[in-house]
Amino acid sequence: MRRETQHVLLVLLGGALLRIAADETYLRYVRPTHRWLLLAAGAAIVALAVVALLRDLRGTPTAEAHDHGAAQRYAPWLLLVPVLVIALVAPPALGADAVARSGTGNAVVRDTDVFAPLPPGPAPELAVAELVQRAAEDSAGSLDGREVTLTGFTVRRGAAVDLARMTIACCAADARANRVRLVGDLGEVAPDTWLRVRGTVQPGSATVATGYVPAMTVSTAEVVPAPPDPYEY
Amino acid sequence: MTTTATRPQITSLHVFCAVLVAAIVARPLITETLAAPVLRTAATVFVAVCVQALPFLVLGVLLSGAIAAFVSPAVLRRALPTRTAAAVPVAGAAGLVLPGCECASVPVARRLIAHGVPDAAALTFLLAAPAVNPVVLVATAVAFPGEPRMVLARFVGSVATACAMGWLWQRSGRAEWIAARARRPVAAPAGASRWAVLGEAARHDLVSAGGFLVVGGFTAATLSVLVPPEWMDALGGQLLLAIVVMAVLAVVLALCSEADAFVVASLSTLPLLPRLVFLVVGPAVDVKLIAMQAGTFGRAFAARFAPATFVVAVVCAVGAGLVVFGGLR
Repeated sequence: MRRETQHVLLVLLGGALLRIAADETYLRYVRPTHRWLLLAAGAAIVALAVVALLRDLRGTPTAEAHDHGAAQRYAPWLLLVPVLVIALVAPPALGADAVARSGTGNAVVRDTDVFAPLPPGPAPELAVAELVQRAAEDSAGSLDGREVTLTGFTVRRGAAVDLARMTIACCAADARANRVRLVGDLGEVAPDTWLRVRGTVQPGSATVATGYVPAMTVSTAEVVPAPPDPYEY
Repeated sequence: MTTTATRPQITSLHVFCAVLVAAIVARPLITETLAAPVLRTAATVFVAVCVQALPFLVLGVLLSGAIAAFVSPAVLRRALPTRTAAAVPVAGAAGLVLPGCECASVPVARRLIAHGVPDAAALTFLLAAPAVNPVVLVATAVAFPGEPRMVLARFVGSVATACAMGWLWQRSGRAEWIAARARRPVAAPAGASRWAVLGEAARHDLVSAGGFLVVGGFTAATLSVLVPPEWMDALGGQLLLAIVVMAVLAVVLALCSEADAFVVASLSTLPLLPRLVFLVVGPAVDVKLIAMQAGTFGRAFAARFAPATFVVAVVCAVGAGLVVFGGLR
C-alpha cells in the first residue's frame, strides 16, 4: 500500500473514532468513560496521518517500505473493515440475540447479602442488574412487597417474556446479561422492544432452580424509546 | 507499486477509492446482510473490540515511537542488567508501569528488540505489561470484592508466566525465529528531527499492527457467537475440565485484560482455580495477540511462542492458585 493511501486510510480511521465519539454512537460499543480515549486516539491518528502527508508533500525524503512479506503488505487494508462497518452500518447495541446466546440463567456475584434500603417513594427506579442481585442475595428482603420500576428490552423464551439488560465492564465483547421474567398480561411484544415496567418481584423466585432469574408480577408496562446508553455498568 | 511518468498506472490509491465507492453502492446489501440477528451480534462485538483496543494501540505506538526517538540503545543497555537471566525479571517488573492492555505492549516490545534489548527480556515485558499493571490489578480487586487473594494469585501467576517464558526463550529460543523486519530501526531520513522520527515510527507501527488487530477482533467476534453457552453451565464440578475449558475460552474470547476479571467474577458456579487460569492465560495469549504477534514478529515466531506461552501460563496459574489459595478451590 502506497504511503498516500495509508494517510487517507488513517484519516478515515481516526475520523471514524471521532465520529462515533461525537454523538452517542460509541455507547453501543464501549462504556461512557472511554469517550475521552476515543477522542484522543482519533485525534492522534488523524494528526499522525496529516503530519506525514505534509512532510511527504514538502518532499522530505522518507525511506520507502522495505521487503515486507505478503501478509504485511496487505494487512493495512484490513483497517478499512471497521471503518466501513462503522460508517455504513454502525451495528446496534447488543440485544435479545446476545442475551439468548449467553445461556439461560443470570450470573450472580457472591458479594454481600446486606443491601441499603430501597430509595423511598412509590416504585423507585432500579437497574436490572441490581434488582437481580437483590432478589438473589438480599437476606433482609428489601424487595419484598415493594413495587419497583425497571427499564430494559424484551427477550422471548418460549412463551415467556423476559426483560433484560446487558452489563459491560469495558466493551460489548465482555457483556453479561441480566434478566427478569415478566409475569402478567403484556400482549404481543416483539423481541428487542424497550419497556418501562412497574411491578413487584415474587419473593423467593430467584433461586438456583430458576438460574437466579427473578419473576416479576407486572402492574404496568409501557413501550419506551431505546435509551442512548443501552448498557448498565 | 511505483508510478512512471509516461503512463498512469493503477495504484493502491485507485483501488482504495474503488473499494470505497463499491462499499457505498453496496450499502443496502451490506445493511440487509447484517440485519440477521447473529451477524448483527457478531458485528457489534467486532466493532466493540476494535473501538476498545485502538486507543491502547495508539498509546503503544506512540510510546514505541518515543523510545525510537528519545531513548538511545546505549541508555537501554545500561538500564538493564548485563546478564540476560537477570534482565528478564527486571523487564517483568517494568511491565508494572505500562497502564494498557495487550495491544499496547506489542509495538513497545518490538521497539525494545529493535533497540538491542535482549529478546528474552523484551518478550518478558510483552507478557508482563498487560497482566500486572496497576489498572488491571485494581480492576481485579473490584471484580472480586470478597476474594482479595485473587489479585495476589493473578499477579504471581502472570509474573511467573512472563519470567518463565523469558528464561525459556533465553535457553531454547532462536534469534532467527523473529522476523528480520522486527529488528529494523525506524526508516527515517538522516537528519530528521526527533519528533519526525517519533511520528514516522508511530504511523508505520499503527498501520501494520492495526491490520492484525482487525484480524484478531474478527476472530474473537466470530468465536464469541459460536461458543455455546452450555460450555459454562456444564463445568460446575469438574475441576480439570473446567481449567482446560477456561484456558481455551481465554484464548478465543480475547477479552481486554482490564475487563476479563469482571467476566470471570460472574461465573460464580466455577471454583476459583479455573477462573484464575482464565485471568493468567488471557493477557498472555489470545487470538487478537496471536494475530498481532504474527504480524509484528513473524509467523515462525507466533507458531512457537503462542503454544508455549499457553502451556506455561496454565501451569503457572495452577501453581500460583495452589500456593495462594492453599489448595484446590
